[in-house]
Amino acid sequence: MFDGGRFMMDREVSRAQSVPQTLRRLGGMFAPYWPWMILVMVLVLIVAGSQVYTAVLLGQAIDCYVNPALLSGSGTVGDAAGANCWFERADTQGWGVPALLTGLTHLMLITTAIYIASAASRSLSFYMMSAVGNRVVRRIRVSLFRRIHSLTLGYFNRHEAGDVMSRLTNDLDTLQQSINFMMISVLLAVVTVIWILIQMLIINYVYGLISMALIPVMYLVTNWLSSLARREFRKARREIGNINADLQENISGVREMQAFVREGASSESFREVNAANRDANISAVSYTSALSPTLEAFGFLGLTVATLAGGLLLLNGGTLGGQAVTLGLVITYINLVQRLNQPIGQIAVMWTNVQSAIAGSERIFELLDEEPEIQDPPQPVAVNRLRGRVEFHHVSFHYNPDEPVLDRISLIARPGETVAIVGPTGAGKTTILNLIPRFYDPISGSVKIDGVDVRQMRRSDLRSNIGMVLQDTFLFNDTIMNNIRFSREGATDAEVRGVAELSYADEFIRRLEDGYETVLGERGSGLSQGQRQLLSITRAILADPRILILDEATSSVDTRTELLIQGALEALMRGRTSFVVAHRLSTIRNADQVLMMQDGRIIEKGTHTELLAQGGAYHALYMSQYQALEDEVPA
Amino acid sequence: MGGPGGRPGMNLPALKRALGYSLHHSRFMMLALGSMLVGTLAQLAVPQFIQDILDNVTLALAASGMAGLDSAGLDSLMAESGFTLEQLTAANNNPLQPLVVSSILILFFSIGRGVFAFLQAYMAEKNGQYAAYDFRNELFAKISSLSFSYHDRQRTGELMVRATDDVEKVRQFISQGLLMAGQALVLMVASLSILFYTNWRLALVVVPILPVAMLMFMFFGSRVGPLFAMIQQRLSHLNSILQENVAGLQVVKSYVREKSEQARFGKVADEHMRNSIRVSRFMSVMFPFLFLVANLAIVAVTWYGGRLLIFDELTLGQWSKFMLYITYIFFPIGQFGFIIAMATQASASAARVFEILDTDVEVRNRPGARTLDTVQGMVEFRNVTFRYFEGSEPVLNDVSFGVMPGETVAILGATGSGKSTIINLLPRFYDVSDGAILIDGIDIRDATLDSLRSQIGIVLQETVLFSGTIRDNIAFGRPEATDIEVEAVARDAAIHDFIVSQPNGYRTDVGERGSTLSGGQKQRVAIARALLLQPRILILDDSTSSVDLQTEQRIQQALDRLMEQRTSFVIAQRISTVRNADRILILENGRLAATGTHETLMESNELYADIFSSQLVDDSAALAEAQAGWA
Repeated sequence: MFDGGRFMMDREVSRAQSVPQTLRRLGGMFAPYWPWMILVMVLVLIVAGSQVYTAVLLGQAIDCYVNPALLSGSGTVGDAAGANCWFERADTQGWGVPALLTGLTHLMLITTAIYIASAASRSLSFYMMSAVGNRVVRRIRVSLFRRIHSLTLGYFNRHEAGDVMSRLTNDLDTLQQSINFMMISVLLAVVTVIWILIQMLIINYVYGLISMALIPVMYLVTNWLSSLARREFRKARREIGNINADLQENISGVREMQAFVREGASSESFREVNAANRDANISAVSYTSALSPTLEAFGFLGLTVATLAGGLLLLNGGTLGGQAVTLGLVITYINLVQRLNQPIGQIAVMWTNVQSAIAGSERIFELLDEEPEIQDPPQPVAVNRLRGRVEFHHVSFHYNPDEPVLDRISLIARPGETVAIVGPTGAGKTTILNLIPRFYDPISGSVKIDGVDVRQMRRSDLRSNIGMVLQDTFLFNDTIMNNIRFSREGATDAEVRGVAELSYADEFIRRLEDGYETVLGERGSGLSQGQRQLLSITRAILADPRILILDEATSSVDTRTELLIQGALEALMRGRTSFVVAHRLSTIRNADQVLMMQDGRIIEKGTHTELLAQGGAYHALYMSQYQALEDEVPA
Repeated sequence: MGGPGGRPGMNLPALKRALGYSLHHSRFMMLALGSMLVGTLAQLAVPQFIQDILDNVTLALAASGMAGLDSAGLDSLMAESGFTLEQLTAANNNPLQPLVVSSILILFFSIGRGVFAFLQAYMAEKNGQYAAYDFRNELFAKISSLSFSYHDRQRTGELMVRATDDVEKVRQFISQGLLMAGQALVLMVASLSILFYTNWRLALVVVPILPVAMLMFMFFGSRVGPLFAMIQQRLSHLNSILQENVAGLQVVKSYVREKSEQARFGKVADEHMRNSIRVSRFMSVMFPFLFLVANLAIVAVTWYGGRLLIFDELTLGQWSKFMLYITYIFFPIGQFGFIIAMATQASASAARVFEILDTDVEVRNRPGARTLDTVQGMVEFRNVTFRYFEGSEPVLNDVSFGVMPGETVAILGATGSGKSTIINLLPRFYDVSDGAILIDGIDIRDATLDSLRSQIGIVLQETVLFSGTIRDNIAFGRPEATDIEVEAVARDAAIHDFIVSQPNGYRTDVGERGSTLSGGQKQRVAIARALLLQPRILILDDSTSSVDLQTEQRIQQALDRLMEQRTSFVIAQRISTVRNADRILILENGRLAATGTHETLMESNELYADIFSSQLVDDSAALAEAQAGWA
């Protein structure tokens, strides 16, 4: 009905790999609603049937009532003998004009009733389909979201986060739009087309075949244009991708751009990307723009063929294939052909979208089927409050076999001990930390806490005993209060404030205009890195964990503040097993154990004093720091 | 996440302004419009020829009865069929000719219709694409010129959405909605006129149905618009939860918050579902209703037309033509609903786009601002006060100090004391709220931004690199620099060795945002980038986070080299920097608490002694131990 061709077409255009399988799976999601689906099918049949039979009735109106009235005078114009009237057949002798008028009125009343029933069915079927479809989409959406939580850090090493996002946004939106109106529209259109074609063949197969002669041509032309358009749109999609990348980069680098006075040059290069996108789109729409007009022209031609053929048949004696061709029959055919044009156009236009919805579903199912690499054991060992003895037993780990990240690491941290991990960038420090809460599983060896392999525990039990402060501070777009409370749902405001005082975050929070109710934005709404880290530390303290993991937790906090929170951190670490990656000597010096790492191995292990005494790598590292400090120490 | 805002409806001023963009390339617009008129006229002609065919068939049928008739019979035939003797005779002699003529005409007009419809669509799309192109360029230029204070408040994602999705919605309306509306109007008015001309009594049957359908449809359209906006809002809420959970996955997992996050997401997903269903309830009533009205009009015409036919006041061909034109009348009504929804969305999107375009650039060239020649590097802060928003707590409060050319200034203070603000004010990333900053005695607000900033080299704490090669990034501020120059600064920044160790050397791709480089490497590239500018004034955030000690030391050496001979402002985290500084500024809660050299401050300032000795105690103890262990 609506000329939405170009509008629809320039959405995502991609093709599914295995359509039947995806469709079956998608269909399976509708299975619980089968009574509704059957009803929808019945309603669709009613709508399609009404299209066919109102056209038939129109023909009868002519043959049975209008034409006889015309004939009643002279008896010379045409012959309605071949007409197939469902209701009291008028014959030229017995019926007067008033009777014919009454017949016509009756027929039209019946037609009206059919149309009303058809509209009601159409309305109901669309609504039901959408009600069911939206429930199905909601289910998919929620399970996708749940799936994300089961993805491991390893998954995100292999996949772009943006790709995961787009499955939950673009693909799902495409699917939802399709399910909402397109699928039912296409279904209705297909059923209608088939029924009309069958009806035309049944009434008079020769006339029918002539009337539908153009359909194969329409199909071929549509297919050809669509595939050209698909190819062009694929190019256009790449271009819009370039635009997005360029924008993203320049918006996040806007400070650099201004600092280096590059606004003009960047705008210039954006113009180029932008123009390439524009031109790619223009060349793509040249094909989609042709689709609707071409179909429309064919529609007119089809109409002409039916009209002309009908006229010629009437003139040539009115029989074909042994059947009578009446004026009413010709009118019925003209109407049927006309009623074919709209659904055919609809199928042509929407087909691409349905295809990309199927392709999207395939990508969605692919993510849903992603086997979580880390799962809870079938029979988890019950753990409540851990004591905090952490053991690494010949632990090896790698992302890909060629590049070992950890090589047979063994260590023991007794409850309450602080373990400092030092070493150059890429030595594997962060990986060790990530193995404790099972963000990764070791390739070989085991990580045990209180003597129980972490793989034997339920992850939620394990992780609720662990507090982490990471190098990249992540805060939510929410109030400071809620961001701190994130680590312990149900903590009171007073508890949050109390903890914030401990970590010295309270001081700067209260200076903010909205205090604890300040909503943090993407960049932390003017918070410095250091302030963000303070919030992250506060969050960890609130969790009151048995095992504490600090990965460069204070790297961006200034020295004075660090000194202040150092006290808090030490208080925090007391009685808890703590793993600390830090560059600051002060932190390392007080540790019970220092692990010196290099290339995925622990090359030295001991206390700060012991390691210094060894005169090995740690000593060398320390001395380089000592060199840097030499001139700073007053003699 | 979309402000609370009022009920989203049609924003006419924004829409009008957006439509102005469709006239930027009026050639395309005129071509599209012309094609639309020609194409629509061709479309309107077709039913007329269908009528001709049918009328000629009836005529020929009547004529075929002529053969054996006497003159009385002929008279009665003429009276009955309404044809003249000439018509009948002509039809009898050559019944096929008029049919063939009409068919050829239809063929001709159909092709014409197709060609012009294509031209219309193509030109309109082209116009829309050009308008979107203009929109994006303007947005980009605007975004890159907006001050830091704006970017502090805006999220990258939000700006992205406006430059992509919102521009796209406006484009769709310009590409399609606009001409669709015009076409619908022409088609409707012309069809109605033809119907009246053909048979006004039959046309009158249709007329009363029209406004009713129209009103109902507009009503539906106006209700659906806001619902769509609500759907959009929920969707963006869903997406932001999603975004957070992907970006902060580790945090969510480590605090075992999966369940509650899922519940939060589920709640919004439920709302989204309910809204979607509510919209489809509207839609599933709206469109079948329109079909029904159109079909009822056809029934009315069939019935009344049948009567007229019976009484010989209408020909069969006219009757059929009526049916076709009725679709032409009702089809546009359906389109209007669609167009209204499209226009509502486009107007809201346009308003969001214009909001950016209309944002005041807080920091910009004053009228009559002059180009700053190469400066000496004397800097003075004169009673500088700065607040982010009017009426908010000042971040800097009445700060005054002076710096001589070539001096190094170390800025100390607690987190949030205003250190970064000082270095952000100097290149005018923000303008002072009160007071003034002078370079070589010139108020920096009297200088052009470009000439000011090109003399200031900046190394920020968070290093942002751009996709491209390492060379591109080092030469970011001076793309025309020679390879020799680039290499020289890379050496100074202690990154040259690393670069040449890469397979592609200086042509190595740094990946998205420099993702293939480590934090320390990125920082050194940033230092090289600043060095290449040969700035007179240097701004550094010397916190070298996320690098190991050795790297940190190399960076430090690079920084020291960078500071030589330049007026330098350093947010200092390191004792050595502070001790070597010519001047130390100590900030406390936005005020300048003390200023002086290491020696003077050590004696006179408790706060400084506190800051310094706290660090010093640490390090000297470590040093002592080191020496002990060494011995």
